[in-house]
Amino acid sequence: MSDTFNQYSISSADWRKTLRQNNFRTRIVILLFFLIYCSIGMLVDMYMSSMHYPHATIPQLFHALITFKIFPLATSVMLIIAGISLMVSYAFYDKLMLLGTEYHEITPTTAQNVSEQQLYNMVEEMKIAAGLRYMPRIFIIDADYMNAFASGYSEKSAMIAITRGLMNKLNRDELQAVMAHELSHIRHLDIKLTLTASLLANLSVMVLDILFYNMIFSNNRRNSENRSGNSLAAIIMILRFILPLISVLLLLYLSRTRELMADAGCVELMRTNQPLAQALMKISDDHTQNRDQYNADYQHTPHENIRREAYIFDPMQAGIESKASVSDMFSTHPSLEARLAALGIQKKS
Amino acid sequence: MSLIVLLIIVALVGFIILTYNRLIGQIEAVRNNQKQIDIQLDRRFKVFESLINVVKKYMDYEKTTLKDVVALRNQAQQAQASGDEKTRIAAENQISTIASHLNVVFEQYPDLKANQNVLQLQEEIVSTENKLAYSKQSFNDSVEIYNASKKSFPANVIVGAFPGKLDFEFPYWQLSEQKVAEQESYTVQL
Repeated sequence: MSDTFNQYSISSADWRKTLRQNNFRTRIVILLFFLIYCSIGMLVDMYMSSMHYPHATIPQLFHALITFKIFPLATSVMLIIAGISLMVSYAFYDKLMLLGTEYHEITPTTAQNVSEQQLYNMVEEMKIAAGLRYMPRIFIIDADYMNAFASGYSEKSAMIAITRGLMNKLNRDELQAVMAHELSHIRHLDIKLTLTASLLANLSVMVLDILFYNMIFSNNRRNSENRSGNSLAAIIMILRFILPLISVLLLLYLSRTRELMADAGCVELMRTNQPLAQALMKISDDHTQNRDQYNADYQHTPHENIRREAYIFDPMQAGIESKASVSDMFSTHPSLEARLAALGIQKKS
Repeated sequence: MSLIVLLIIVALVGFIILTYNRLIGQIEAVRNNQKQIDIQLDRRFKVFESLINVVKKYMDYEKTTLKDVVALRNQAQQAQASGDEKTRIAAENQISTIASHLNVVFEQYPDLKANQNVLQLQEEIVSTENKLAYSKQSFNDSVEIYNASKKSFPANVIVGAFPGKLDFEFPYWQLSEQKVAEQESYTVQL
């Protein structure tokens, strides 16, 4: 390992800058999701009101809705639905994360050996460094592949899980760096954020779909005098194909900025960038070396896609494919090189 | 016109309230983190005491060490009571030195090294020292956050309006210059 590490030149990481930059990016992405959601609502409203006012143009309808001359009913209903489903998913999400794995919890009293005790101590140390008010629960997953993830955002739901493979193959410093990365996800409220974003994205696509099919099947009721109806139909048609793609790209961008932030948060807590860099390289190398075995392991674990975004390392980057869907074409994590560069570690040329 | 003025006033009052509450939160965070250092010092003393008690069975060496730790601890507590921060930090630092000696001693006894309990104790020493260091770091971080927001504009205007409630001078946790020079030239002697 030290050999490969010698190929890199090490400088310090400006974690304050990384945190600031990515925080700004996050705000933009969340704002975009909110705007997209509201504009889909407005689209539904315009579509509905275009039936009542067949002679109005699109700008006229938009103006009437935005000044509340026509009450934007669909937008309001959609916002309420989003609010309720967000609250419901906040309440139940933490139960999902360990689905399908074999795991057990570690507490100071139930630690079976020194390394489990050590793991608990490390998380506690990072908790002190972060000034966190509560101690997350810690789980060990019985699996050979090296990975870890965190979930939750409150005393009740916060948890960190790591695989047995990661625990055995990293030294104390590296393991602590991984724990600091995961703890940073918790204190940055990343789970809440990605949950909100993906919920808004899914709802937008769903509403657009409903609108699309409604438009197709009610087409015969329209007449050619409807001035805005036809152009609205065109917009809905185009959006229906573009929006899912935009949502996926935005979600990936969000997930990547949050990963970089958690890396920076790890440096903030440990005040050194080398342990995390070494851990990331080890995990990546290990995944490449044992690709076939891990591929089978990941495949045999049910509900792996729930955790993929939360993992410290995206197995797909080592060529481990999950069951195909659109989002799998791109990685949820920045490349290893990009992450190391953000940590201030560059390959010597 | 009057509506606009009213809105501006409401926004201004809201901003003042938010800034005030944020600063109060940061001040309390600094205070809490300051006490966290004490908590960790106290915890360390208790851990080391029980630690040395366990190891005592194996080595005579430790009998004097335990007495040393207890004596240093008393010194630190007296200094804290009389407000003498310098003596207190000196005493606490000496306990740290004893801890690293202990780890070296473990290495010299192969039987002891293999003992599961001792491995646990060794981990406990490392973790305890880490926790202490991280609590100091966390304290300094909260001082940084508080200082940065109290000195930045326009929050400093609000701090100026409520100096008794919002304006505090928290020194960063640091070593004296003499101590820094000492630690810089320090090398391990086995």
